[in-house]
Parts: sequence; C-alpha cells; structure tokens
Amino acid sequence: MLRIENFSKSYKSAAKAVDSLSLEVSRGDIFGFIGHNGAGKTTTIKAIAGILDFEEGDILIDGMSIKKEPVACKRIMAYIPDNPDLYEHLTGIKYLNFIGDIYEVPKSERYALINEYSDAFDITGNLGDTISSYSHGMKQKLALVSALIHKPKLMVLDEPFVGLDPKASHTLKTIMQQMCNEGAAIFFSTHVLEVAEKLCNKIAILKRGMLVACGPTMEVKGDNSLEDVFLELIDSNV
Amino acid sequence: MKKLFRLVNIQLLGMLGSMLAIGARRSRKNARVLYAGIVLFTVLMGGIAFFYLYGMGSILKSYGKLDALPQIAMALASMAVIISTAFKVKGTIFGFKDYDLVMSLPVSTGSVVASRIILLYCINIYFVLLLMVPMTVAYGILAGPDFSFYVMGILSFFLVPMVPVILASILGTIITYVASRFRSMNLVGIIIAFAVLLAYMGFSMTFRGSGEEIADIGDMISRRVNSIYPLAGYYTDAVCKGDFISFAFFAVISVASFLLYSYVIGRVFKKVNTDVTTGRYKAGFALGELKAASPLKALYVKELKRFFSSTVYVLNTGFGIVLLTIGSIAAFFVDINKLAAGAGGAVILGQLLPAAVSFCVVMSCTTASSISLEGRNLWILKSLPVDARCIFYSKILVNLTITAPALADSIMLAIALRLGVAEGVILFLVSAACSIFISLFGLWVNLRFYNLDWTSETVVVKQSAAMIITIFTGMALVGLQFLLFAAAGSITGAYAIYLPAVIILSLLILRSLQADGIRRFKVL
Repeated sequence: MLRIENFSKSYKSAAKAVDSLSLEVSRGDIFGFIGHNGAGKTTTIKAIAGILDFEEGDILIDGMSIKKEPVACKRIMAYIPDNPDLYEHLTGIKYLNFIGDIYEVPKSERYALINEYSDAFDITGNLGDTISSYSHGMKQKLALVSALIHKPKLMVLDEPFVGLDPKASHTLKTIMQQMCNEGAAIFFSTHVLEVAEKLCNKIAILKRGMLVACGPTMEVKGDNSLEDVFLELIDSNV
Repeated sequence: MKKLFRLVNIQLLGMLGSMLAIGARRSRKNARVLYAGIVLFTVLMGGIAFFYLYGMGSILKSYGKLDALPQIAMALASMAVIISTAFKVKGTIFGFKDYDLVMSLPVSTGSVVASRIILLYCINIYFVLLLMVPMTVAYGILAGPDFSFYVMGILSFFLVPMVPVILASILGTIITYVASRFRSMNLVGIIIAFAVLLAYMGFSMTFRGSGEEIADIGDMISRRVNSIYPLAGYYTDAVCKGDFISFAFFAVISVASFLLYSYVIGRVFKKVNTDVTTGRYKAGFALGELKAASPLKALYVKELKRFFSSTVYVLNTGFGIVLLTIGSIAAFFVDINKLAAGAGGAVILGQLLPAAVSFCVVMSCTTASSISLEGRNLWILKSLPVDARCIFYSKILVNLTITAPALADSIMLAIALRLGVAEGVILFLVSAACSIFISLFGLWVNLRFYNLDWTSETVVVKQSAAMIITIFTGMALVGLQFLLFAAAGSITGAYAIYLPAVIILSLLILRSLQADGIRRFKVL
C-alpha cells in the first residue's frame, strides 16, 4: 500500500533531514514510525502526504507515485498533522461537509459516516460551533473524523494520540484495528512507545534521518521492551 | 518598567519580523520589495498630503485663518488613527495570538496592556508623521513661524496619537463586544466598520468647495474640534503660539490618559479578553440534512467564508467596490454632469469614468493575500486530492465575485450619466478586463511573495510585499489609460489599444499560473 524508495530530503543545502529511506507498508499493517525529536519523521510523513516536495527517491501509494500522480494518491489517503490547524472560521459540520465535497463522498453515505465517527469521538453536539471555539483535543477529534469519512485505504498520522482524552485514544485504536482488518493500512509516528509496542505489527526506528531498525514489532524488539531497544539504538554510535 | 520595555521590544520585533521578513525563512527578495514599497508609499502619500494641505493652507491664509491648518491636520490624523486602530483592537489588545504565553509571564497585567497599547501607538506614529510632517512643511512655508513652532511641532508629533489610540481601543472594544453578541458577529463588525469609514470619508469631503467655503468650514471645524476634543486647542496654542503651558497640558493629559487607561483596563483585562474572544458556543447540535457540492464549489464557498470572516480583509479589499456602488446609485440622484462642469468644464466624464471605475476595481484584490492567508492551514489544501488549478480557480472566482458589482455599477453609471453607446461599452469592458487582470495578477504575485508565518492578518492584508506590488501595478494600469488617451487623442482609440493589452496580459498570467504557478504552489 505504501512503498518508500530511497527517499532523501534536505532543507536549503543543509545536512539531509532524511537519508535514503526505504520501507514498505502492506495492507492490514499498523506501522509505527518512531525516532527522537528532529529525526525526520515529520519530513517523511509530509512527503508521503504530498505536501512536501522532494527530489531524491520516490514514494508509491497503492503503486502510484505521489510525485507523478498526486491527486490520485491523495484520493485514497488521509493525512493528519501533529498539530491540526483547521479552518477556524468554519463550524465543525461545515468543515466535515467541505471534506466530503472534496473527496466526493456520496451524499447518501455522508450523513451516516459523519454521524458514526463524530458519535464515536463524542463531538456530534459540538459540530454546530465554530472551530475557533474548539479545544486542541476537539480539533484533533474533528480532524480524525474528517480523515475517516472518506474511507481511506491508507492513513498517515503524525502523533495522532497527542491531545486526545483516554476514551478518544481508545476509540482511535479500535478504529485503526478495524480499518486494518478491513484491508486498509496505517502509518503513524509516535513518541509513546507503549502504544507503538501494543498497537503496531510493524515498527521502524529513525535516527538522524536514517533507518536504524525496521520490521515486525516482535523482531525489532526481540525479548526486550521497545523502550530498551529504542534507547539502545538512539544512544549507540550507529 | 524594564519588563515593559522588554515586552514591547519582543512584540515589536514579532510584528516587524512578520512584516519585514526579519529572521524569517522567506527570501530577502520579499523584504527588498517591501522596503521599496514602503519608501514609494511614503513619498507618494507624503507628497499628496503636502499638496492637499498646502492648497488648503493657501486658501485659509487668504482669509486670515491659517492657524486652523495645524488643528485640521491634527483632527484628520487623530480621526485616521481612531478609524484604522479601532478595527485592530481584536488581535492586538485583546485576543492576540501569544496571549497565553504573555499572560503566564511574571509581569503585571497593566504592563501587558501597556505593551499592547504601545504597540498600537508605534504602528500609528508612522501614519501620523505621514500627515503631520507635510503639514509642518506647508505651514512653515505659508506662515514663516519662529523656531518654537518647529520645536513644539516636532515634539507634538509623538503626543498626537496617544489619546486617539486610547479612544480607538475603547471604540474597538465596544464594537468587538457588540458584534460578539450577534450570531453573524463578523458581518455585524464589517457593517459597523463600513459605516464608520464612510462617515470619516464624509468628514474629509467637507473640506472641498470654494475658497470661502473651505475657510468657513475650517473655522467651523476648528471651533467644533475644540469643543469636542479640548486637546486640539492646547495643541494649536502650543504649536502656533509657542505657548509652553498649553504644550505641558497637552503632554501631561496625553501621557496621564495613557497610564490611567493601562491601569483601568489592566484591572478588567482578563474578563474583557474572555468576553470578546469567546465565540458563540452552544453545543447540543443535531445532525441534519447535508448539501453536497463539487470540489470547485466547495473550495469557492470555503474561500468566500474566509473572506467574510475577516473584517480587515473585507475592509481593505472591498471598500473600493462599496464606494463605487454607493457612487453609482448616487449618480441617479445627483447631477454629476453639472458638478463636473462646475469643476472647470474640462472634465469629460466619459473619459474619466473608466479610469475611476477601474481604480476601484484594482483596489479590490483578494487574491494578493489569499495564499498567505492560508498560513498554518496550508497543509489542508496541499493534502487534498484536488489539482492546484482548482485551488487557484476558487481563489480567482472569489475575487471576481467581489468585483462583480463593478459591472452592474458600470451599467448604472452609463445609464445615470447618459453616456454614449461606445463610452458605455468601453466602461463595462474596462471594468471586466481590470477585474480579471487584478484577480489573476494578485494570485500570481502572492505565489512569488508569500508570508505563511504571519501572526496578524493585518500584516498580510495591508502590509505585505504581494499587496504592495499588486496595488502599485493596479495603479499603473489605471495611469496607463491616461497616457494612452493623451497619445491616441480619443477614448475609442485609447481603449482599442488598452483593452486588448489587458486581455493579452491576463492570458499570459493565466498561462504562467497553470505551469509555473502550480510548481510554486507545490514547493510552498
């Protein structure tokens, strides 16, 4: 579903933020992407989402290149940044309907999907209010609902659990598992290693823009905890 | 006091940094254009102010009322400060972006309020100087005053905006507070803003007429300003008569008002801030029927809502069209032909109108800040499955919608002023061509000169390189009409060249947007 081939990115001739990164996410995968601050996770995620231009390597979504066919790739994908700045002047429902229009979600399905996911995240009652009145967590929930209503085959999430209350976190994890059971794929970054360890069937660890570990979670962590493995890799001189 | 200056320092740096690209990741190209634009604007506006005030001063002098000139200039500057500042209150004094951070610092609330008012004061001092320096030069030439006039006058420059800034922040708070009580709070705010601006324009227009009328009005205004705003009297006595006691009163009252206001607002700042910044929050929403639309229509509606969500955006890009529409309706009731004849008889309406209408159109450019205004929301557009062309078209369509009344206005003007068929058609076509050109050009410029790191919409809408380039290009497009008319000698001859040229330019820009523009959008 997602294949990253030798992806590199540098900003204004500085050192490479990401260096020759290659990895693959298959249907049904919940893929955790972890690394220290500034490791290049957000750069990679933005490139996958098609919002960051890059010159080296390629990123394929369901076999299509994000560079050559960005619109087709984006149509089957959903992206949520680490800090969801949404259109504050719109109400929640107008934002969701806007997303529904852009992704051409049939009118017949739209109502049911918005109802289902906004109920799941407990924000239906707030959809009539302008987004400017929302808390960080509510904006995060609205962004999640907007990502889910067009039934993406690939979800790309940057720190999706930040700002969510425990119930919403649980709901998100359940939905992620449901989606993967139905054949979708999820690629997300997180600093919460316990979540990654429990939720993800595959893990990749990034250090200073380079992949230092990648594979099934059980293989990456072995008999240790993911936290121990992560700290060992980050502290080592690899 | 040290903390206050540190606060002002950091906030001024933040504002200027956002405006002039200091320390920003944008290229120096933006800053260079902006500096050049500011210099050009200062020279242009300072020159206009000088000739306007010198002309008025000459008339006042011939009636022995020259001393009214500094007072009138001060009244105009004070009113301009009040009008322009009242709509900056939300975002500057209340509801500013770093409120949480600043309020968590170990400084008194009074200091926070004072720092924000000083920020407003600093913004206004430039505009006050733009009017008061030409007045000082004009008065100096006409009256030949002694040295004390210049000393008092220059010192007064820095006192003039103080009380108006405070009055503006009170007015702005009331407007924001009243507007926030309504469901469509932005619309209410915009309507109030337009009403106040039109009232100000009406006040400025009272200075037109015959010499005797101006002198009488000057005298009347002088007396009225004195009765409403006693500080103006102290100012006049200080500057024109070199009265130090009056100057001391003027200075003490200005500074004391500033301190008192900071103290009083400091006491209720948190409550007022919460009241004016909290949106209507009702919860209990029940999902109803949803209307579906095409992606282009959805983007267009979103863009239109963005436009109307910002008072400063609407005021700065919609005022020309509102004024044009009011003028077009008024043309049915006022004999403009007679007025024009009275103004010297040389004015030929059919020749001037296309330039006047196109001036209002080119001043109404929403696209020049439409990319920058995406700011931190840009990720949404960039991650959507829509072609960049579709995004561009939605922004262009909004600009065309805003300038669309100019087409109806052209027809109304042609009918009301009984223009000939050729002149009427030219008027309509020039409106349409300029509207298309400025919509495309604004976007084209904004893709080259963008600011996505802004913290205040005002910086993008009023003080950005893209806006300055677009406005000056628009003005050049209007000026070109006069040049062509002078060269061709006839209205049809001039516009036979002008219209195809504008259309060809528009097509070239459209082509550039569809290729280079898309590439630029991708790397934003």
